[in-house]
Amino acid sequence: MATVIDAIAVGQELPSLVKEISQRQIDAYSVVRAKSIHTDEAWAKAKGFRTTLAQGMMSTAYVSEMMTKLCGAGFVKGGTISVAFIKPVYAGDRLTVRGIVKEKTAENGGTRVAVDVWCENQHGEKTAAGMASGLISATT
Amino acid sequence: MTDFPKLTYEALAIGEEFVSNEEIVTPEDIDTYAFAVDDHHPWFSGPSPFGGPVAHPTFFANQALRMRHTKYVVHAGLHAKMQFQFLEPIRPGMRVRSRGRIIDKYVRRGKKYMVTEFVTEDQGGRPLVRGQFTQMLIEG
Repeated sequence: MATVIDAIAVGQELPSLVKEISQRQIDAYSVVRAKSIHTDEAWAKAKGFRTTLAQGMMSTAYVSEMMTKLCGAGFVKGGTISVAFIKPVYAGDRLTVRGIVKEKTAENGGTRVAVDVWCENQHGEKTAAGMASGLISATT
Repeated sequence: MTDFPKLTYEALAIGEEFVSNEEIVTPEDIDTYAFAVDDHHPWFSGPSPFGGPVAHPTFFANQALRMRHTKYVVHAGLHAKMQFQFLEPIRPGMRVRSRGRIIDKYVRRGKKYMVTEFVTEDQGGRPLVRGQFTQMLIEG
C-alpha cells in the first residue's frame, strides 16, 4: 500500500502559497503599539522605512502552513524551521511562499522530510530563505 | 519600582536571562492568529490528530520575542534569523510562558545583533517549542 512518504519525491516543488499582507493583519499579529515599526507608520518612517513592516515571524507562519500541508501532524509535533530574513516585508506586499523537497532521511521509524523554503515579494525578490522539516510516520 | 532601560547593545550581557509573562491559550486568540497569518486550518477549531483543537505551531513566537520587554524598553529591531523546533502541540486552556537567555551579541558591517535562545513551556514545565532568534538592534 502506498503511503504519504512514498508520494513525496526529492526535488519535488510544493504547491506555493500567496499571502497579501494587510495592515489589519499586521496589527492583529503584532498588537497595536505606539513607537512600533509594525503598527505606527510615523515611527516606521522615522526609523528609515517607507511604511510599516510585517514582522519577519509572519513569514515563518506561512512556512509552517506549507509544511503542515505536506507533513500533517508530523510538523505540528516534530517540525523544524530555520530561516534568515533577507529583505523587509511591508504592509501591502504580496508574498509567494515556495518550497522544494531537499532530502528524506530515516528517523525514529519514520521519515524526516527536509524542504528548502523561501518567500518572494511581488517584485520577485527573496525576503526570507532557509530550511524546514517534518517527521512523517511510516503508517501515515 | 523597576527601571526599564532602553535595550541597547551595550546594556546586553551574554548569559542574561528573561522570563515572559504567563498566557492562557484561548480559542479567541487562536482565531485572531489564524486571521493575522491567513491560515484557517480546521485543526485550529475542531478535531485534530491530537484529540482536539491545536494552535498554529508558531502561535507563541511573539511571546518569546517579548520576553525582553519584561526588562527593557524595546523600541525597534529587525529579525535577522529565526529557528523553531515544534515539540508538542499547543492546546486551548494551556498556561504558557517562555524562558530565554542571550547566547551571543556581535557587530557585523557596523550593525549590532543579539542572539537569544528560548523554550516555551506549559504550566507543568513541559517544553512545547524550542528556538533561537537573531535580532538586529535599531537603537534610539
